[in-house]
Amino acid sequence: MAHNWDFATILQNWPVLWVGIKGTVFIFVITVVLGLGGGLIVGVARYSKSPFVSWPARAFVEVFRNTPVLVQIIWFYYAFPILTGIETDPFLAAVLGISLNTMAFSAEIYRAGIQSISRAQWEAGKAIGMSYNQTLRRIILPVAVKRVLPALTNRGIEVFKMSTLASVVGYVETLNQAKLISDLNFNPIESYTAVAVIFFVVLYPVVQGTYVLERMLRKGD
Amino acid sequence: MEWNFLAVLRDFDLLMLGLLNTLKVTGLALLFGVPLGLALALSRLSTFRILSGIAGFIVEFFRTTPPLVQLFWFFFALPILIDVRMTPLIAAVVTFSIQSSAFFAEIFRGGILSIDKGQWEGAKAIGMTYGQCQRRIILPQAIKRMIPAFMERSIELLKTTTLVSTVAYTDLMFQANELAQKTFRPLEVYTIVAAIYFVLIFLFSQFSIAVEHRLAKSGEGTVR
Repeated sequence: MAHNWDFATILQNWPVLWVGIKGTVFIFVITVVLGLGGGLIVGVARYSKSPFVSWPARAFVEVFRNTPVLVQIIWFYYAFPILTGIETDPFLAAVLGISLNTMAFSAEIYRAGIQSISRAQWEAGKAIGMSYNQTLRRIILPVAVKRVLPALTNRGIEVFKMSTLASVVGYVETLNQAKLISDLNFNPIESYTAVAVIFFVVLYPVVQGTYVLERMLRKGD
Repeated sequence: MEWNFLAVLRDFDLLMLGLLNTLKVTGLALLFGVPLGLALALSRLSTFRILSGIAGFIVEFFRTTPPLVQLFWFFFALPILIDVRMTPLIAAVVTFSIQSSAFFAEIFRGGILSIDKGQWEGAKAIGMTYGQCQRRIILPQAIKRMIPAFMERSIELLKTTTLVSTVAYTDLMFQANELAQKTFRPLEVYTIVAAIYFVLIFLFSQFSIAVEHRLAKSGEGTVR
């Protein structure tokens, strides 16, 4: 069956799609900052020698890594308000689900980075009179974070793709708007192809960038 | 706030049916996705430029677009483009087979590339063809190294299958939505479902960690 591709309707509805793109960028920026930032704290806590710190961090990581992110978003949308009395709108539910999930994944990345640093660095820090926190902040973390930069960038890419799940609870982002355009103009092919192309065009250069970054870091180490 | 699990437990068989369908979609996607991933990896490694170019594009495209967009595309758009009757199950299996094959391809490629060049030369020296060398020498070693990354990806696939609920396939997530509406007990339903997923995925990942340790002992490093 021959199909006449007609992207004109997409261009006519560009303002509708643009609202969605802005929604995607907005939720991406917030979740990636909260996720990768919070993950650092959880990752350091997970590495702590005190079981009172490391065990809750470990439980957090296991729970959020071993459940699907869609289940988390829907749980925060429908179940969390009943449990806490705090009303969650689609945006808040999606932000909670995606950020906490990303925190758990990036915590493991940071922890692997910290563990990859030689013990001698810790001892050297101690020898010149630095406390645990000082050594961690000044010596260990700068090197550790640099080492795991490619893994963190990959997480960032995952977060960008994950933002489409926010549409399931009705947050206005690119996929949601494409669905709207498709329902109004009966052009699912063009609508969904446009969304796929938008994501590809944004993420392809980023993925290529991570390859370059990986090569540079390997040389630097 | 009072927890009441009775309503959920009464319809627990609905959830178990959903769980079965979740495992079915995951299994079928693996069944098609793994061979497709191997084919993509071998094509991408091919010296024939056009073939490796096409395979590279497919892999990058499916890795950089969100799985939910792919699912919608296969479910809503493909039936218009070609005349097929699309069911949620077919759309799900097609989407997740291709999507996961793109990731499996990269695991295969990494594994194959990790094998020392000397192995190729050795095989060539005793008169093996490319195909023989790949099949007898390279792949058996590469696959052993790929197992941990492979299992991690399968776990990701299992988690991604929750998306099929959005095109009304009766997986565990979909059954949860139904049950939550029917019983007016979303807190209990979604908590139980989260717990089911947790147990399932936790067991899988513990198993994969155990295998990884076993492989580490036998002297095979992990390839990421």
